[in-house]
Amino acid sequence: MNHNRMTRRRFVVSVIALSGAAGSAMAPGLFESSLAWAASPGRIDEDVRRAMVRMARLLYPHDALPDQVYADVLDQALSDVAAGPDFARQLEEANAALAKVSAGAWQELDAAGQAEAMRAVETEPYFAAIRNQVQAGIYNGSAFWKQVGYPGPSKDFGGYLHRGAGEIDWLPEDL
Amino acid sequence: MTRRYELDDDSVVVVIGSGAGGGTVSNELAQRGIDVVCLEAGNRLSLSDVVNDSAAMDRKMGWHDKRLGAPVWLCKTVGGTTMRWSGVTPRFRDFEFRPRSTYGELGDTSLIDWPLTLEELLPYYDKAEGKMGISGTHGTPPSFETSNFKVLRAGGQRIGYRQITSERSAINSVARDGRPACQQIGFCWAGCAVGAKWSTLYTEIPKAERTDHFELRTGAMALKIEHDANGKVRSVVYADANGAVQEQKARAVCVAGNVVETTRLLHNSRSSLFPEGLGNGSGHLGRNYMRHVMSLTLAIMPGPVNFHRGTRQSGIILDEQRHDDSRGFAGGYIIETAADQPYGIAAMIGGWGREAADFMDQYTHIAGCWITGEDPPQAHNRITFHATERDAYGLPVPVLEYTDHSNSTAMRQHAVRQSESLYESLGAKRLESRPDVGGGCHNMGVARMSDRPADGVTNRWGRLHDIPNLFVSDGSLFPSSAAPNPTLTIVALAIRQAEHIAETMARREL
Repeated sequence: MNHNRMTRRRFVVSVIALSGAAGSAMAPGLFESSLAWAASPGRIDEDVRRAMVRMARLLYPHDALPDQVYADVLDQALSDVAAGPDFARQLEEANAALAKVSAGAWQELDAAGQAEAMRAVETEPYFAAIRNQVQAGIYNGSAFWKQVGYPGPSKDFGGYLHRGAGEIDWLPEDL
Repeated sequence: MTRRYELDDDSVVVVIGSGAGGGTVSNELAQRGIDVVCLEAGNRLSLSDVVNDSAAMDRKMGWHDKRLGAPVWLCKTVGGTTMRWSGVTPRFRDFEFRPRSTYGELGDTSLIDWPLTLEELLPYYDKAEGKMGISGTHGTPPSFETSNFKVLRAGGQRIGYRQITSERSAINSVARDGRPACQQIGFCWAGCAVGAKWSTLYTEIPKAERTDHFELRTGAMALKIEHDANGKVRSVVYADANGAVQEQKARAVCVAGNVVETTRLLHNSRSSLFPEGLGNGSGHLGRNYMRHVMSLTLAIMPGPVNFHRGTRQSGIILDEQRHDDSRGFAGGYIIETAADQPYGIAAMIGGWGREAADFMDQYTHIAGCWITGEDPPQAHNRITFHATERDAYGLPVPVLEYTDHSNSTAMRQHAVRQSESLYESLGAKRLESRPDVGGGCHNMGVARMSDRPADGVTNRWGRLHDIPNLFVSDGSLFPSSAAPNPTLTIVALAIRQAEHIAETMARREL
């Protein structure tokens, strides 16, 4: 999965610069660990996991999505038999790096401070790896789709020909 | 139903590749009673294999063998990239066959005119459009107007464009040729689940099979073309689906593996007679690799667009497909609607943080377009091969060297300004333009046609200048890229080439 996401990224995004962005205003969420995670091929400490769920949210901060959605994205990547251990190491590297640039107190910073620390490490390989996983997990995920009003696959209901294709009601008529 | 040919049957034409070029030339030859063996490296999917999941479909039909350098986005499956393409089929315009004469000398390019004219290709464009069911031609209506197209048209009109159309799509606008009309499913890139989009998988290939003059071998990776002492091609060596090496004798060979594999096969077939590769007497094989100028513009509009409801490319603007020095660059470009699923959009926009997330929160309000524009040929844009690294077939790993020409940079800047002002004219709230998105899906050059053997690899029929029974039948033939999406022209050239092969065979010249 990881490999294929990366492959797709490589050809979809040939030359795209990272754009700077402001951090989430949400407070860090408290988090319950799950048994599914504990059995994953990729394992990380609970404290690392809490920080990385926070980082995942700050990568793509959608206020309407609960922390569990971001946690599930990480757990899904960690549960990959082939890529899970690598991903665990990347999360640990990110956690250590964020701690380092924040004098050990990244999780105590406000959202703006946390995002600023992330920007300081955004060119690191582990950062790109985590960003790609979270991006794919969130935007290929039903939680985001539901929130934004995107129904996902349409083949099974016969496409949009009789389900709103071509409908638009705000275009000016003075053309 | 399908014929089987013996490996030592030297009366067959061997076609390598089953996509737009190979699938078409195969069927056109078989329809004329010529026996064809088509070697396709990939597997044969059916419509029931097609799911609305781009990543899953990429695993089923994408070409994932190792390549270095500039990325390309190709398919290893029966149908080739006609499984993945968006079906946009504008014709070249007259000046685009004469770029060298029209633009004059363009520094740091290897620009030449085509060895044929629009007038000469017109009958074949017409045949290709009939074959493919291009909307707005041969009595078919224009394509359904998606909301994304309606936005493009309204904005285009506001900034003065007049050549705006939802015609010229190879996706059925009405049921035709045993295939249904488009249902606006919206996952064209993942393969059309109902077969409304023209793909050789369910048009040319089964039609060829019904002639009883055609055999498709899947999982068959061509490794080398062998020739006799006189330099005439006599067989194709390939790895079969079980990995065993086979050798199919041939009366003639048509190579249509898309630019990378076409170059590699001709290069890998070098011999004492052709030490630099087949057809490389001029040194042009693998050079003049072109991939179109592209850029993407996405806009948050004042109201919902829901561009996931329908084909991703549903209409085009042709006003900029012209040569006009006052714009600051040579050649033209075409503006086309663009749409994608949420993940595709997020990946193309890139970035992270609140700005990126806010953009995605407005997914249903996004309208989008991209451009495809003429990319001048440069000799140093080329496909070479790694000195030591080998892939699973034991073939040298391809290396793609590609850099933009300054003409392309100027064209892209113009295109981005036009695309953005189009959406601004309708009150767009936020604009995001990305250069080069999609680079590597349109691939041309590397075995270009030329009047003079010194200027290219193939002649005006796509036959290698120095080998009488070896042809190239894909986009590798293009001497220049022009602005249009290449498939229609590939199909037109393949029909014309098949006609030429049949005629020369009838005259016993081949």
